[in-house]
Amino acid sequence: MGVVMPLNAETAQARTQRVINEDSTDIALFVRSSQDDMIGWNRQRIVEALLRETFVDRDTAEKISRDIEMTIQAGRVKTITGPLIREMVNAKLLEMGLEEARRMHTRLGVPLYDVDQLLVQHNKENANVPHGPEATNLTLAEGIKKEYALLQVFTPDVADAHLSGDLHLHDLGFIDRPYCSGQSLEYIKKFGLNLPHALSMAKPAKHAEVLLAHMVKFAASLQSHFAGAIGWDAINLFYAPYLEELSDEGVRQLAQMMIYEFSQQAVARGGQAIFSDVNIYWEVPKHFVDVPAIGPGGLYTGKTYGEYEKQAQRFAWALFEVYKEGDAAGRPFFFPKPLVHITEKFFKTDGHLDFLHHICEVASVKGNTYFVFDRGDTAKISECCRLSFKLEASDLEDAKQPWKMRYSALQNITINLPRLAFRAQGDDTRLFALLTEKIQLAAKAHGQKKKFIERLMSLGKGGPLSLLAMDLDGEPYLKLHRCSYLIGMVGLNELIRVHLGQELHDSDASIKFGLKVIAHMNIVCNKLAESLEMKFVLEQTPAESTAFRFAKLDLAHFSKKAEKVVQGNREKGEVYYSNSTLFNVGATMSPIARVEKEGLFHPLIEAGSITHLWLGEAQPDKEALASFVINVFKYTQNDQIAFSPEFTACLACGKTSRGLSETCPYCQSKDVDGITRITGYFTKISSWNKGKLGELHDRYRNVKRFNN
Amino acid sequence: MTLFTKDDCALCAQLKKQFDLSAMDVQVEVLGNNDAAALAHLAWHGLVEKARKSLPILVLDDSSALHEFDHIESRLLDRAAHYGVAAKGHGKQAGCASGSCALQ
Repeated sequence: MGVVMPLNAETAQARTQRVINEDSTDIALFVRSSQDDMIGWNRQRIVEALLRETFVDRDTAEKISRDIEMTIQAGRVKTITGPLIREMVNAKLLEMGLEEARRMHTRLGVPLYDVDQLLVQHNKENANVPHGPEATNLTLAEGIKKEYALLQVFTPDVADAHLSGDLHLHDLGFIDRPYCSGQSLEYIKKFGLNLPHALSMAKPAKHAEVLLAHMVKFAASLQSHFAGAIGWDAINLFYAPYLEELSDEGVRQLAQMMIYEFSQQAVARGGQAIFSDVNIYWEVPKHFVDVPAIGPGGLYTGKTYGEYEKQAQRFAWALFEVYKEGDAAGRPFFFPKPLVHITEKFFKTDGHLDFLHHICEVASVKGNTYFVFDRGDTAKISECCRLSFKLEASDLEDAKQPWKMRYSALQNITINLPRLAFRAQGDDTRLFALLTEKIQLAAKAHGQKKKFIERLMSLGKGGPLSLLAMDLDGEPYLKLHRCSYLIGMVGLNELIRVHLGQELHDSDASIKFGLKVIAHMNIVCNKLAESLEMKFVLEQTPAESTAFRFAKLDLAHFSKKAEKVVQGNREKGEVYYSNSTLFNVGATMSPIARVEKEGLFHPLIEAGSITHLWLGEAQPDKEALASFVINVFKYTQNDQIAFSPEFTACLACGKTSRGLSETCPYCQSKDVDGITRITGYFTKISSWNKGKLGELHDRYRNVKRFNN
Repeated sequence: MTLFTKDDCALCAQLKKQFDLSAMDVQVEVLGNNDAAALAHLAWHGLVEKARKSLPILVLDDSSALHEFDHIESRLLDRAAHYGVAAKGHGKQAGCASGSCALQ
């Protein structure tokens, strides 16, 4: 039997160097062979592969190759392919007890049957991925990278925890990228569009339309380097120096171009629209007031941003006029998501009430507006479904040169909370011990991803992450040392139901225990952050597919216990757990009670939270919503709210109606699709996974809760 | 009545030294890296962000909260008198090192 060296005998650095020394083009073009007979057969290729990819000794490799040769000859195999030989070698390695060598020699790929299915069926893991050849490419590539991640990036205990559903490692198919990115338009205003490997380089924009073109292209480049959302800070303010020469009509035209550009950019990665967020302020945020403004040509205008308040407000107003109108068919725009920051200063800024009514009208008519509450001195940049980066002292120092402001979360890992309660069997001590154990495992997984990204980043401008390594301002675009590591949760409501026999909305005792669970998570994250020197922060996981996945896995592995608490329709397979710390979506609660009670959890979840208020077909008065928003800001701890109406889009007559209907009220066609918010963004219901369909059915609509 | 404190908070320490809080039926919650229940209790009262700015915080029986040291001390003096418990000295004597009188 051969000697197998441990995997870590070769350092990660050495492995990286070895891999890049091998030209991957050769691998792609010549590694596979398919022949009708044994001509060209050379068993030495097996030996070379084993020696190159594993730590098996030469004698063993020779023996394996001879055995395989005999098997092929004896079997009268007509077609020999690379994959077939590899499978045979792997079987041999297993037979010889060389498990680690088999793992290293594994071939990543997809069964023929699965490809057949993928080519014709819509993958609904992410509702923002349409169905088409690009989407198929994305799914296939993601499938291989997922396997790679679980085999090569993460240790077996982490991979097993993911596969069994204890944890969910998000975006494994994007293992070679960070999770998401928030940045400032100032970067391209100052440096132009100067991207690594680009065929041409553009100087800083001199006109607003050109700046928009740069922004959209840069966003598309970022989308290919991050798994998730691309957020832009104070977008209306940073456009302001370009708007002075534009008429109101010109500003509105620019707003329209921006929204259409982002909402129609469904041509890049996997045919996905860029998951984009624009942060909008009515006031000039305190940290930008005295900052010198950059204008056309990347030059300082001689004014500070504090002097551009009116221009910034013109643009903010125009953006919401476009949102209110919707697209050509009257449907809400899905992207970019507008996040309006409601701050103490907002209420001291002239015209704020008119603007609040304006954005509340949009919230009521189309639902686009996200209300982000920055109380006290808090300042943050928000993106994704609810993620936010709170600006700390160092960030506020960066704000003096806003192009330096860029934030990233490297990875997101979610913990299956109901499963902990199944295992704890009512024992508090056991529950918290299990929770600690899973957070520690999540931290370990974060460390492994960090190490992997560091390796890729260390290859610098010649490596795969050259865009993130570009250092136009003297620092890499991705500031790894300042990245966050997200730890999320799914199913707090169901954990409480298992552990206490009640749901969160049932009693104060339930809420108090729920707070203790999240407080525990917060404290453990802080301790780990201190000891491992990584910024672990809690985030409410959007859990678009994770809430479905965990519920399905628990029904399979903890069936008796899970059956009692899983939400949705089990017969139809439309099952789910409540997202993060959200209360039961179907609970009959007044909107203010939901906002207030869910908001109690938000200060413990530093990287972002949201409360959804489902409107159904209701279309409340803008004044009623404005008053509601003011009360939420003043009297609750809630971090962010969004109002979600529902629409029916007719594919036959092209008209859009309010509410979800099975037939178009205009032409009675049944060829319709529903539109509403899935988790943190609008999308077509036909693209939703089964779990989310179950949730949609259960949602409590605040139809008569607001003054109509 | 609950007094939210922290170990390295000098103003909190002063109040603990000044009053026999248990004799006055004042629950003391020590916030820190070990007590999820205390943090959850703070969150229940919607005071996490306030505590990040300053401690101590006194939550009254009607769930309203006092944040100013002088107000807290004054309320505790009243309560001490009501319970017939002696208080040792008064007035803000302690100083806070940068950030120590706040939940980090």
